[in-house]
Amino acid sequence: MLEIENLKTNFNTYDGVVKALDGVNLKIEDGEIFGLVGETGSGKSVTCYSALKLLPKAGEVVDGTIKLNGEDITNASDERLREIRGGEIGIIFQDPLSALNPVMTVNEQIGEILVLHQNAELQKLALEKEVPTFKSEKWKASPGVEFTIMAFCISFISLFVMLGQSRFSLPFIFAIMLMFLRDYLQRDNPASALDLMVIDALSRVKLPNPEQIANSYPHELSGGMQQRVMIAMALAGKAKMLIADEPTTALDVTIQAQILQLIKDIQKEENMSVLLITHDLGVVAETCEKVAVMYKGKIVEQATVDEIFSNPKNDYTKGLLEAIPKGGKERLKVPNLEETSVL
Amino acid sequence: MKEILKLKNLKKYFPVKNSWGTDVALVKALDGVDLKIESGKTFGIVGESGCGKTTLMRTLLRLVEPTSGSVILSEEITGNNFSSNKLEELASEELRNFRKQIGVVFQDPMGALNPRMLIKDIVSEPLVIHGKTENVRSRVIDLLENVGLGEEHLYRYPHEFSGGQRQRIVIARALALDPKILVLDEPTSALDVSVQAQILNLLNDLQKKYDLTYIFISHDLSVIEYMCDRLAVMYLGRVVEEADTDELFSNPQHPYTKALLSATPSFDKNKDKIMILGDVPSPINYLDESKAKLATEITEQEKLEISAIEGKGIEYIVRSSLNEVIPLVQISDGHYARVKQ
Repeated sequence: MLEIENLKTNFNTYDGVVKALDGVNLKIEDGEIFGLVGETGSGKSVTCYSALKLLPKAGEVVDGTIKLNGEDITNASDERLREIRGGEIGIIFQDPLSALNPVMTVNEQIGEILVLHQNAELQKLALEKEVPTFKSEKWKASPGVEFTIMAFCISFISLFVMLGQSRFSLPFIFAIMLMFLRDYLQRDNPASALDLMVIDALSRVKLPNPEQIANSYPHELSGGMQQRVMIAMALAGKAKMLIADEPTTALDVTIQAQILQLIKDIQKEENMSVLLITHDLGVVAETCEKVAVMYKGKIVEQATVDEIFSNPKNDYTKGLLEAIPKGGKERLKVPNLEETSVL
Repeated sequence: MKEILKLKNLKKYFPVKNSWGTDVALVKALDGVDLKIESGKTFGIVGESGCGKTTLMRTLLRLVEPTSGSVILSEEITGNNFSSNKLEELASEELRNFRKQIGVVFQDPMGALNPRMLIKDIVSEPLVIHGKTENVRSRVIDLLENVGLGEEHLYRYPHEFSGGQRQRIVIARALALDPKILVLDEPTSALDVSVQAQILNLLNDLQKKYDLTYIFISHDLSVIEYMCDRLAVMYLGRVVEEADTDELFSNPQHPYTKALLSATPSFDKNKDKIMILGDVPSPINYLDESKAKLATEITEQEKLEISAIEGKGIEYIVRSSLNEVIPLVQISDGHYARVKQ
């Protein structure tokens, strides 16, 4: 599915060049859950951002090839990349509240992705169900323009009333009445094809009353529901691969269990590939089939989950596993990491 | 067993006002908490966000006034110098003396350290405030050496340190006034596992050295199991289960405790799973009874999730069934839980 070969990413800072990735090799097969673990600054997130070309300005991919389904996307055009992001690879970020737009409803946000990546489906559904593709909002401008027109009308009315020529204000009163009348006539538009698809996307992630959630803003939802909306967004473009960047770090353990179960269920239903980035080895043990351990921009060990937990080869992996409290009161072993920086 | 603190039926209700300023609901952040905290031991408090852990900590320090109930201080803290052994009756001067005895370590070390102050000023601030102005410099160096830092760090700013080192500075500051109790509010949740191991070892060493009592708040059960001697599980402002750590982990009684233990990711893939359905409930209690929902009703979402989960070999608990108020009963010696008999 996704193949990363000898990927090297540098960050140019005022203090010099930081080698964030130093030759990363990854191969994610169709329909498997692949875990990428490591500590802060080891380059887990940079790996996935490099693969999707989402690096900040200071970062640059210096070397390596990235292949998606055999296609080399290392030097893909912006247009092709836009198709891939959301269309072929969906992403879930760590903090759902900062990844969702606070001034857009869930409906609008998922709608954007459907319009971009599922336009053909949308048109087909509209024909099938004989509903409009989008909610018809005839004669409606953006809220800013509407407000300005209204303000102009009211100021002209008051101007003419003050001048004692009230009859000139009649057309403006008429205009305001028309605006209200229009809202009244369009009050119950039939559901559009887009609405139906949004609701379908929301019910795929097992959200209750999808109609109600579609019309709410992100801050009105709880953390677990927000993360479900994020997953719905990532899946809306019918992506065949999901990158989950610390999807449960901001959540409580009981909600974390729900979200992980959901990701596992969806992966099985749709036979997707999932790249799960996390710092929690327990999460990896429960969800993944294969795992790679990263340290200082390199993959130090890569194996199946059973193997890595029963028989870790690398010293760093051993150290990480020993540092986790596992019952018992004996003193924790601290892995002996070199204190050198990556600079 | 020597108690250092005793919480007696502690309640803290926050009013919810509508736009007219009248109370429409109460958030019962603490709803009758009884706890005894043993001297020289580590007492753990677990629960999910919104269950009242932090309010409990703030009431302990009297940063918020409790609605009713009291915190009873032992002689070890009062030293028979206070006018009363109830925390809510202390006047300002005595309250300052009381707060000297309790150090606090917060979750996010960068948020707890002033970015514009040098480390020497940060660590010496409590000493200056409480008028211990002699030999401040050597005392600060002592404190820093205690937590594995040294003299060379005195003239640096917080941003020059790594996350683990910052947490060490916060611990050094909390120890500045020789407290008897240290309140640790998720001290390692912002840290990597290897750094977490260092901090936990440090905390254990300090406890042995100074005979400290820890109140350890966390949501990470593996850390709690490692650190704590006794443990209270909170849910919606109430303690649902309280027992010694080994007893609680080997023989959990309350359904929420069971689910919490099973939800923690572990290396054992074949462990039986107990899932809690639904989201964390809102702790708001409406004063108008018609608005209050029946606590044990199954919601639409829960019905949906039950149908999705059925036939997967996963045991599930309906979240709303946990909201029922059941009195605390004794299971065995020192093990209490809110379960139906």
